[in-house]
Amino acid sequence: MAWVMDQPLVTLSDTAKVEKDKVLWEAEDLGGITEDNNRVPVPIVWLLLLTVLTAFAITFPLWGQRPNAAIYVDYVKAMDEPDVKAAKNDADAMARIVAKYRSGPNQALLERHPLTMDDLRQIAPQIKALEKEGVDLREYNVVGPDVVLANFEGNYRADGTRIRLQPWWDKGYTIDIFYVIAFFLGVTMTIKRLPPSTWQPVHGHEHK
Amino acid sequence: MLKYLFAKNEDIPAGSAAVYWGFSAIVWFVIGTGLGSFNAAKLAFPDFVTGSEFFAFGHMRQVHVHAVIFGWISMAFGMAMMYITPALGNTRLWSEKLGVWNAFLWNVGLSLGLTLLWAGLTSGREYSDFIWPIDLFIAVFMALPLAINVWMTILTRRTQGIYTTNWFFAAATFMVIIVFLTGNLPEFFHLTGLTEAYLTWWFAHNVLGLWITPVAAAIAYYTIPKVTGNPLYSHRIGHLHFWSVVVFYSTPAAHHLMSAPLPEWLKSFASVEGVLILVPAIAFVSNILLTMQGKWNMFVENLEIRFTVTGVLLAIPLNMQGGFQQTRAINWYIHGTGWIVAHAHLALLGFSTFLEAAAVYLGLQSLMKRKLYSLTLGNMHFWLLLIGFSIYWISMTIAGLIQGAGKIYEVPYIDVVIAEHPYMIARWIGGTLVFISNIIWLYNMWMTARVGTIVPVGRMPHEMAYER
Repeated sequence: MAWVMDQPLVTLSDTAKVEKDKVLWEAEDLGGITEDNNRVPVPIVWLLLLTVLTAFAITFPLWGQRPNAAIYVDYVKAMDEPDVKAAKNDADAMARIVAKYRSGPNQALLERHPLTMDDLRQIAPQIKALEKEGVDLREYNVVGPDVVLANFEGNYRADGTRIRLQPWWDKGYTIDIFYVIAFFLGVTMTIKRLPPSTWQPVHGHEHK
Repeated sequence: MLKYLFAKNEDIPAGSAAVYWGFSAIVWFVIGTGLGSFNAAKLAFPDFVTGSEFFAFGHMRQVHVHAVIFGWISMAFGMAMMYITPALGNTRLWSEKLGVWNAFLWNVGLSLGLTLLWAGLTSGREYSDFIWPIDLFIAVFMALPLAINVWMTILTRRTQGIYTTNWFFAAATFMVIIVFLTGNLPEFFHLTGLTEAYLTWWFAHNVLGLWITPVAAAIAYYTIPKVTGNPLYSHRIGHLHFWSVVVFYSTPAAHHLMSAPLPEWLKSFASVEGVLILVPAIAFVSNILLTMQGKWNMFVENLEIRFTVTGVLLAIPLNMQGGFQQTRAINWYIHGTGWIVAHAHLALLGFSTFLEAAAVYLGLQSLMKRKLYSLTLGNMHFWLLLIGFSIYWISMTIAGLIQGAGKIYEVPYIDVVIAEHPYMIARWIGGTLVFISNIIWLYNMWMTARVGTIVPVGRMPHEMAYER
């Protein structure tokens, strides 16, 4: 039952255990069912690797977030511009505002989080008040009609306040890395304790 | 069957408990899908049966959900465990009498719980809607006796090894008890707020992940090699599947609450784990499909294989949806829409139901030693179930995308209701086909028990499927 480390990708068991397993494997009749000793197919191994990489890549917080207040600062300023004020109705006014910033740095975020003039009128005073306070508007989320401090809890600044920006990496991902490594190590060790996959059991007709 | 409740264990014929569980499961399936059809009619035709709170959607929906999960699916699982566990250990069920009592208590507990839900006594927590005394009854008098019977049968087996299916059975019967006791802590100790929300979805996620999914898969690990005569392709992939279910399926509960003010790192962790649910899915599907090598003709010719392989194939879209719909990028759009309802039915009525139906078909014929009364009715059951499910799934997926668009672009709610109305009618039609298919199934199995051709010793029922 000893562990053998000289060929870790072939088997981790000593010869005695391998031979014992082989005998048992072929003699065993599990209710008329038998099992083969095939390795995990190489395409499946690649698929698993792709799955792990995808799991991290697709869950990074790049999409699907609540809009932060900073992306609407230009919209709020534009409300007071003459051409917007001259618009014939709210829809026209909003269309003019959107047209002004269609190619700005926040274009994608603004497209995903469109506003009406009514929405803008509700959040504009709150954004102006926060600007007067001199806070970082990226740390404030727009949740319906309210502009609220984001619930992200980043590092402490020198003044004792916390950074409230959405990090692209957090300790959840760090835990995941250790978790995934532990899992694949554990499973690899488990299946490498079996007889080498080059050996296939011979199943008798009694199993059929 | 009730006469065996007070008989001596040795006087109860082997397989009696499994037959009791099996027929109970089918009856609950008829009831559960009948309720589903009724509820769908209320959504398609708002004036259908009004005036009584007992027939209000809010009362009836929970009864439908719990009848199919704990009646149909869980009793089919119990049936599978009662005959597959001893078969794989070359032994008898540890206690046939406990098995019969267990089925009896399961039916009593579930009937009581559903009656209380119908009457409006609910915890109000989705999927764990039963009030806490019923939760405790389920854990102690329904799940624990099942677990003891499975564990003791495995301990008293006459083989040295334990086949993959029995790893899953032993672990899942343990895990479901933990899920019930932990997931219902908010009801036992009146926990509120985010703690309650998190534990509600911890329960819901793990009933699916640590009970329904692994047991359904375990059944396929038995059915495919048993009926095809092929060895399971890889014992190693079985290990990969089992441990990845334990590790990756037990952790992503927070991905049901991606918009809640949970810690962001917990959402990140859960979301990665959520995608990694694809690991057990890949292992399971590949192992089963590779086991089918050289026997694909049976996918056409054999009813049990057709049900099982269809369930396995449905695991592919199920896990592709499940893995990705919970990410931040997609969840914000489809959360709280019919898309999720479609996904839940893909899991329970698609993937899981097809695997269990195969086990019940195979088990009842084998245990009663009678050939299926009518293969034609069996084929009708399969196709009506598949077509009905597909109509339901596709229509609700489309309705969900409409709702998602309506939600994001703030379309007036009544406009969304009007836009999705045709899909609500399609949903009702699909659900009703499923209900009709199950009535056919119940009739077919009842007639099999009564007048089915007796299977000679040494032969399996499916071998005689095309013999007169």
